[in-house]
Amino acid sequence: MNAPLPKRKLKVATTSLAGCFGCHMSFLDIDERILDLVELVEFDRSPITDIKHCSPDCDLGIIEGGVCNAENVHVLHEFRKNCKILIAMGACAINGGLPAQRNSLDIRDILAAVYAQPGRGVHIPNDPEIPLLLNEVHPLHEVVKIDYFLPGCPPSGDAIWKFLTDLLAGRTPTLGHGLIHYD
Amino acid sequence: MRHQFELETAKTPEALKRIVIEPVSRVEGHGKVTILLDDNNQVHQVRLHIVEFRGFEKFIEGRPYWEVPVLVQRLCGICPVSHHLAASKAMDMIVNGGILTPTAEKIRRLMHYGQMLQSHALHFFHLSSPDLLFGFDSDVAKRNIVGVAAANPDVAKMGVLLRKFGQEVIRVTSGKRVHGTGSVPGGVNKSLTAEERDYLLKDSDQMIAWSRDAVRIIKGLHRSNPALYDAFGAVPSTMMSLVDDKGALDFYHGALRARDKDGEVIFDQVSYQGYNTLLTEGVKSWSYMKFPYITTLGEEKGWYKVGPLARIQNCDSIPTPQAEEERVEFVAHGGAKPMHGSLGFHWARMIEMLCAAETIKDLLLDPDIMGADLMAEGPRRGEGIGVIEAPRGTLFHHYRVDDNDLVTYANLIVSTTNNNTAMNVAVRDVAKNYLQGHEITEGLLNHIEVAIRCFDPCLSCATHALGKMPLEVTLVDATGAEIDRMTKDSEGRIGK
Amino acid sequence: MSDPKTFFLDEEEIPFEEGQTIIQAALTAGKYIPHLCYHPEFKPHGSCKLCTVRIDSRTVTTEDGQSVKIPGRAAASCTTPAQAGQHVESEVPEILDLRRTLVQMLLVEGNHYCPSCEKSGKCLLQGLAYDLGVMDPHFPQYFSKREVDASHPDILLDLNRCILCELCVRASAEVDKKNVFAISGRGNTKHLICNSESGELGDTNLAATDKAANVCPVGVILHKRHGFEVPYGQRRFDKAPISDNPVQYAPVKEQV
Repeated sequence: MNAPLPKRKLKVATTSLAGCFGCHMSFLDIDERILDLVELVEFDRSPITDIKHCSPDCDLGIIEGGVCNAENVHVLHEFRKNCKILIAMGACAINGGLPAQRNSLDIRDILAAVYAQPGRGVHIPNDPEIPLLLNEVHPLHEVVKIDYFLPGCPPSGDAIWKFLTDLLAGRTPTLGHGLIHYD
Repeated sequence: MRHQFELETAKTPEALKRIVIEPVSRVEGHGKVTILLDDNNQVHQVRLHIVEFRGFEKFIEGRPYWEVPVLVQRLCGICPVSHHLAASKAMDMIVNGGILTPTAEKIRRLMHYGQMLQSHALHFFHLSSPDLLFGFDSDVAKRNIVGVAAANPDVAKMGVLLRKFGQEVIRVTSGKRVHGTGSVPGGVNKSLTAEERDYLLKDSDQMIAWSRDAVRIIKGLHRSNPALYDAFGAVPSTMMSLVDDKGALDFYHGALRARDKDGEVIFDQVSYQGYNTLLTEGVKSWSYMKFPYITTLGEEKGWYKVGPLARIQNCDSIPTPQAEEERVEFVAHGGAKPMHGSLGFHWARMIEMLCAAETIKDLLLDPDIMGADLMAEGPRRGEGIGVIEAPRGTLFHHYRVDDNDLVTYANLIVSTTNNNTAMNVAVRDVAKNYLQGHEITEGLLNHIEVAIRCFDPCLSCATHALGKMPLEVTLVDATGAEIDRMTKDSEGRIGK
Repeated sequence: MSDPKTFFLDEEEIPFEEGQTIIQAALTAGKYIPHLCYHPEFKPHGSCKLCTVRIDSRTVTTEDGQSVKIPGRAAASCTTPAQAGQHVESEVPEILDLRRTLVQMLLVEGNHYCPSCEKSGKCLLQGLAYDLGVMDPHFPQYFSKREVDASHPDILLDLNRCILCELCVRASAEVDKKNVFAISGRGNTKHLICNSESGELGDTNLAATDKAANVCPVGVILHKRHGFEVPYGQRRFDKAPISDNPVQYAPVKEQV
């Protein structure tokens, strides 16, 4: 007699684009519950693993940060292509967040100001190895289809836990008072 | 003696093979490493590129000053408290000349030492321990915190709960675990209630005990393989940090001290208010992160390292007893000379975590943390500089504010920027010693990342894409409509 | 004494006094209807449309026996007088969706970066969005590029967050009798202006104690050198949702 097939763990990929990693930190703020979570999910590409690219069969992609440069665009497309469900996590992914405050300025002026060296002129890094900046920081949903949005700067560990457990249980994630925050 | 910038730039890059590690993982933020090799796998060039650029310094201009401590902490979600407090210290200078009530200073210290504890725990247990426990070229599928939890559940749980405690200290003092609002220019917006104090105090002895255990773990690893631990990613360099007025370790406040690679003091008790003449920020074409150096020593010789390894060897003592005992042992291990092997960062880091745990308990037992006098007043000024020892090293914030209360100038040198050259030297050392002449494998490449992880760099931001980046990028939405476009010409000029 | 007049709000009987609007009667009775430009002390404005309700929908039975709902008229409850026997729908999915959409449009039109805004936690737009469960902006972000006016010694204007509710305009005109603020332009260029020759707030006679300086529901009109003074977790909407205790928004009864 065959043993029952083990229930497949959900494959979760995560990344930070033009974010600060605060959402990933908040993810870790589920504390001991992470030990329960890894019974249900396995981490694919993520800053906490050494997997550098998404497996083609990821169930869930969680992205923090907006889109500010060419590499962000590449990574976002990689996630959309390989993840069945994409979640925009945190203020930056949802509306650009504070980095989008640069949108009211010309990127050339910002670079010129930041890389001006007193007495030595302006040397803006321009090596092909560093990605080209976009003129504006964009929320994720302006670039690819996003399935779910989890607001907060960052969303609290409890909010992330509620959201993920709703999703894993097949419910539409809801937060409610005390868990929904934009800051 | 080898050249300071050996392997930074290959003579004939176009003739070489390129290997890229990207994103560098199990660090905070994104960076990438490129390695250029010839046909015999001889290494000719290694660079750690920081692809982050978010322009905070520029868009802070025009914002009201009281917003800044809350705004700039969004630079970093791992050590937001450092930015929150460095900006607050700079703004204290502006609103009252830099004075604080005893309650405000102790609440800020509590917040900061809570952060030191959580960040160091995260870095050691969640990010670096898989390399140290399993081996640098161990199975990539298990080389993460989940793998550690499976193989060493007690170690993983200790890491998770140490971090949790540090985060709770931050939440109680700032209202929130990540990006709180506790510190305001001139003071703080809350002190602790007796209930909050007791809630934290009940776990504080356990945290001290676990921190001591963590020191024992890394010390044991170090001693079990001194050939590896003492030499790997060696960066003989100047070391810089804040020390207090007696030369002791202090994460919140002090003056600058630097020692050369042999431990001789270069300067001491230098006020950080003069940081911008003391340091110069160099720029290289291949990284958005700048390369600071001590001005008088010049770009070639003036670079330095900051962070735990610099701090523990720079100070004369640590004010808490258990951490001081461990410091003495650490220094004795190095013998007459300072240790410069990058893995020494981890040992030093765990000693600092122990110091943080002990200091948190001391502060919790101080009645001032429940005081009601939260804000101090003094004469208004137009300029402020705030410096703090962040988990990853010395952090500089500098602002000017006009008569209408708006920021007119901001300059930040973040901890990891101070370590930029040192990290590059470390990865080149590893490349030369481990990659040279070998068939490049994933495990060998992870050695490069192990060296980077020692510095616990906070690279925050974006990367990815194999091959050369396009010289033109067009961003289209889901319907194919163009929503953004940038070009870069052969001189690197950016246009639309 | 005549019989008390009543209408029905989501099937619940609500008493009202002659001359009261629907929102006034509802709030007095402890029933929350979302709103931004309505304020109990000022003349109703009817511009934000968040208090939109549907009045007197009917259900008819078709020839084949099916029940079909004929929607009633949509109206701003802040400008519509309550009428006896009226059936008003507020907390129904279509109306909630409409309100969510309106909030999303307001959120993308301005630079509502809650993470660094000192109004966060007590901002009515944010509180309303929380209450409506707005998780995403839906629309593309506009990224407005408006000036910060810091010319006044005590008050700062961040016009990137203005939702054009005109509460400050009405407060200044009706209560302060100063006419410090006005709205200029139409459509996309509509914006808040200051009534001074230079156009700067510093050249008006606004005082920090004026009603107009203390009525902004969002983070436009800010008191200088103060911010983030209430700890996170103890701010207004940390403690209770905006819909809690609706009578706080009800018109104050004049003492007889």
